[in-house]
Amino acid sequence: MTGSERPVVLIVEDEPDVAETYKLWLTDEYDVRMAEDGDEGLAQLDERVDVVLLDRMMPGLSGDEVLERIRERGLDCRVAMVTAVEPDFDILEMGFDAYLCKPVRSEQLHDTVSNLLERSTYDDLLQEYYALVEKRATLEATKSSAELTDNEEYHRLQDRVEELGDDLSETLGGIEDDEDFIATLRGLGDVEEE
Amino acid sequence: MSKKSDSEAMYDLTDVLDFEALSAVRPGSSILVSGPAMTGKDELAMEILADGSDNGEGAIVVTTGEHAEDVITDYRDRVPGLDESLLGVVDCRGESGRDSEYTPAGSFVYHLSSPGEITGMGIGITKCMENLANNGADSGRFALDSLSTILTYTDKKTVFKLCHILSSRFDTAGYLGVLTIDSAAHDEQTLQVIKQAFDGMIEIRENDGTREARVLGLAGKPTDWQEF
Repeated sequence: MTGSERPVVLIVEDEPDVAETYKLWLTDEYDVRMAEDGDEGLAQLDERVDVVLLDRMMPGLSGDEVLERIRERGLDCRVAMVTAVEPDFDILEMGFDAYLCKPVRSEQLHDTVSNLLERSTYDDLLQEYYALVEKRATLEATKSSAELTDNEEYHRLQDRVEELGDDLSETLGGIEDDEDFIATLRGLGDVEEE
Repeated sequence: MSKKSDSEAMYDLTDVLDFEALSAVRPGSSILVSGPAMTGKDELAMEILADGSDNGEGAIVVTTGEHAEDVITDYRDRVPGLDESLLGVVDCRGESGRDSEYTPAGSFVYHLSSPGEITGMGIGITKCMENLANNGADSGRFALDSLSTILTYTDKKTVFKLCHILSSRFDTAGYLGVLTIDSAAHDEQTLQVIKQAFDGMIEIRENDGTREARVLGLAGKPTDWQEF
């Protein structure tokens, strides 16, 4: 998400009526893109997409395969799986960020999309927080405490670190939820196995 | 970073390490245990956990260097009459991919193939928490040994973020987190950055064959060094 642009949601769904309904619900708040199958979904996907709503059972590429390709491309969009049955497997293990069971209600859809966007906000805040903490540590390592007392940049850093720390503890309820916890860790990226 | 109420029971760690600053540690706190190799960091972390288990609290261990069965055997010796269903272990040295099991005595064990699998670690910790909750422990103590191993698989940025996210999770869950780092294995700036993700730190050193500790950040000014 950059500047004042609206978040982009990509709907990958082979049933046109269902896809239109989702679009209708979301279009007031988000820029909505639509794709009828996995291949088209992958073609529509770029850095601007924040959230993907991915139907699990589609002709051609399955939702699982599309997810795999999204992860391979290293895009940091959030992916919610939409499924007809309550999943009997652990969606966290599979690498999805959330899931929705059909029939999906409007409120559910809104809640899910806004939660996924909040996770992205958290990632961005944490990145900024890290950058400042690192900068502060560098100053502390290279300057005496007397120099730091007179250093305006240092004081500004201190204030900003504190502000960001507060923002972080208010985002995602301070990581109250297991799914938020795992998804936030997933955002750090695993080290590839040899 | 917490806004928890004061009414929750504080963790008293003075039986393990006799510092006033450790007499009432707020639930949800994360503590970094820092010191050079062979000065008893992991020992201290495990003693803090065992102290909780003595009182029937839950315990979660993430180990980057030891096999789960060794951790459990060692833990059994520390806690006589241990209720093993209140112990969960995430073993990052698994031979195969991710999988989980229960030991015959009821401990939950989650295996990962590498300490670089941050997401898997999160899943393992979550499952341990779920198991402890199912067995009656809604919160408890958590130890990770050691961040230094994870730092060899990834960078300080990732480890800082990992620590911050863990701290936040423990904060909302009311857990006490104790994570170790080998202070001699990393440069000063790395240590300086990583400790910012914690509420406090226990620093350990060896002085003429005597082990000493001090506490920073948990209550007021840093304490003096004290033998332990």
